[in-house]
Amino acid sequence: MAENVSKTKKLFTVGGLIVLALGIILYFAKTPLGLARKIYDLPVFLIIIGLGFALKGFMSKAKSDNDLELSSKSFSEFLTNNAILLAMLVLVVVICILQPRFMQIRVALDILTQSSTKLIMALGICFTLLIAGTDLSAGRMVGLASVVSASMLQTATYANRFFPDLPQVQVWLPILIAIAACMVFGALNGFLVAKYDMHPFIATLAVQVIIYGACSLYFDMPPNNSQPIGGIRPDFAQLGQMRLFAGIYKGFPGISILIPIAVVICVIIWFVLNKTVFGKNVYAIGGNREAAVVAGINVFRNIMGIFILASCLYGIAGVLEAARTAGATNNYGNGYELDAIAACVVGGVSLNGGIGKVGGIIMGVLIFTIIQYGLQFINVSPMWQQVIKGVIIAVAVAIDLTKYRRK
Amino acid sequence: MRKIFLISLIFILALTFTAQADEIKIGACIYRFNDAFMLRFRNAMTDEAAKLGAKIELSDGRDDQNVQNEQIDAFINDGVNVLIINPVDRMASQPIIDKAKGKNIPVVFINREPAPEMLNSYEKAFYVGAKAEESGTEAGELIAEYFKKNPEADKNHDGKIQFVLLKGQNGHQDMILRSKYSVEAIKNAGFEPVELASAIANWDKLQAMQIMNAFTMAIGPENIEAVIANNDEMALGAIEALKNNDYNKGDKNFYIPVVGVDANASALEAMDKGEMLGTVLNDADNQGIAAVRLANALAANGDIKAIGYEITENKYIWIPYQKVTRGEKK
Repeated sequence: MAENVSKTKKLFTVGGLIVLALGIILYFAKTPLGLARKIYDLPVFLIIIGLGFALKGFMSKAKSDNDLELSSKSFSEFLTNNAILLAMLVLVVVICILQPRFMQIRVALDILTQSSTKLIMALGICFTLLIAGTDLSAGRMVGLASVVSASMLQTATYANRFFPDLPQVQVWLPILIAIAACMVFGALNGFLVAKYDMHPFIATLAVQVIIYGACSLYFDMPPNNSQPIGGIRPDFAQLGQMRLFAGIYKGFPGISILIPIAVVICVIIWFVLNKTVFGKNVYAIGGNREAAVVAGINVFRNIMGIFILASCLYGIAGVLEAARTAGATNNYGNGYELDAIAACVVGGVSLNGGIGKVGGIIMGVLIFTIIQYGLQFINVSPMWQQVIKGVIIAVAVAIDLTKYRRK
Repeated sequence: MRKIFLISLIFILALTFTAQADEIKIGACIYRFNDAFMLRFRNAMTDEAAKLGAKIELSDGRDDQNVQNEQIDAFINDGVNVLIINPVDRMASQPIIDKAKGKNIPVVFINREPAPEMLNSYEKAFYVGAKAEESGTEAGELIAEYFKKNPEADKNHDGKIQFVLLKGQNGHQDMILRSKYSVEAIKNAGFEPVELASAIANWDKLQAMQIMNAFTMAIGPENIEAVIANNDEMALGAIEALKNNDYNKGDKNFYIPVVGVDANASALEAMDKGEMLGTVLNDADNQGIAAVRLANALAANGDIKAIGYEITENKYIWIPYQKVTRGEKK
């Protein structure tokens, strides 16, 4: 057994170093071999992956007790548990062969950028999933936040302003108003669920319809009359479009500001879930509600808190979407909640409540975005994309449930 | 006795006077007031009616055919001389035509076209509108004209136009017609269209941006020669994605012509900044003017051929879409 363990470590370390070496060789050899236009940034990716594995090998040496063990049983378990991840890896390889342009740093950065707003939403929705609930109003809240923030942040010279006489206010003010508007509806969600013990599915469905109606009314106010909002102020658009370290070396497209924003929010949510009383309460309510009540947890307050915090995150996502696209309509965010729920489920959040980690959600969102982006990349028909997306969700939930039963 | 005679004389005189001064009364039923396009349409109609000295009354159908039918009855009872109808449901126009025919009131349909057999059932039924396929044709022509004026736009010098197509909602009539006819127009202008990629972006800026981002990376911006979008919002989304890749930011060497349809305010702004090539406008102003002039001539039993718009098949006035580039109507 012990020998097995050390073998795995060695496998990781040696394998990682080999990939790393291959990457470095290719990096210097690609131009003389004339491969630059065939493998693009593959060497860089190999170096990163190699480093990752090698480090993992070193790290697991330090704490050998929770290491992988290699046996046929654990191997097949590993396969089923990571079926979606493996399917994604296969898909990535296929896409790279079909369209080598996929192996570019800028593609990877673009995928991370697209994942950022989705991740923020998924982190919000995971709270509602953790208490065995759901939140169908999330997508419409994104729309609400984007319309409200964009409507107050147009340039003075734009021909079709939402509020023709509004002065150029500080950027943060409309953003706060937009997020606050979402939190009001989040509070309504929480109130319906906590006070009347309504199933979150129905409560948030009702609120979803209310939000869309209210947002459409706002959007339809004269003089706008349902015209798409444009003419966004550059200082606001920067919030979603700014690129850090652009041109640090030739051709580097820069890191979108959305990525660090998402990272910061991840850290905050991780802290809330793992290091605060509120976070422990969320898991407790999700794991066993009756026990939580007996233990003296104020369920009403915590459920209110969950839905308000979640709506705050959707609001942030909505504001960022408006900034990123420099525009907004009442249709923004339509159907996002389902993508976010699916990403959470793929990331190991149990729909039965009480189980789910921030790391898993990050993985889930990344897997989903990579698959979606990749299919778009090789121009797969949108109908097929839908089919594939559905299959992924079904398989992920099936795996989740088998895991649950095994325990 | 004399007094009574005098009073009745004055009364009769007053009656004839009002009857003579009675201007033409147009009853116009709009499917829904809260619609940006119909708002422009309405304003054009009221302005033109004022110019012609006709009285126009507008009603808001609130997107409900039953409500609109009641409003039509009210207009007829009120004694309007002519009706302008923007039906809620264009396939439910037959009862409206029958009603008007029963009272011998001419009726001009606008914006939503009743089936030909409906219009043909009454000689005083007309239609004023635009041909949906034309919006596609003109968008394609904008691209073709750009390529004729700027030969270097053909980046690989193969005489073909390699384009990306962003489509609206699946199955939507405008999406089908615009996609088909914009490509056809490129062909008719003497270029071979080559579709590099196409996707459904549901008229949505955000979706169009994400899709275009992936396409730009997959195909390489240097290989894309044109972007055709079924509406302006998707065109603007594509432009955001191109700007993300340092295209369409003002440098002539890093520019891909993008066209849309609608001529909304954001598109006009993007054209002024030189980020967008052009768009196509559904000409509400001319449709409104034509509808009121036709109605006025019909009510006055005047010459409907003298209103300044060509009438085809004695039934239709087709108002062409307008190409818009750099924020100006062409």
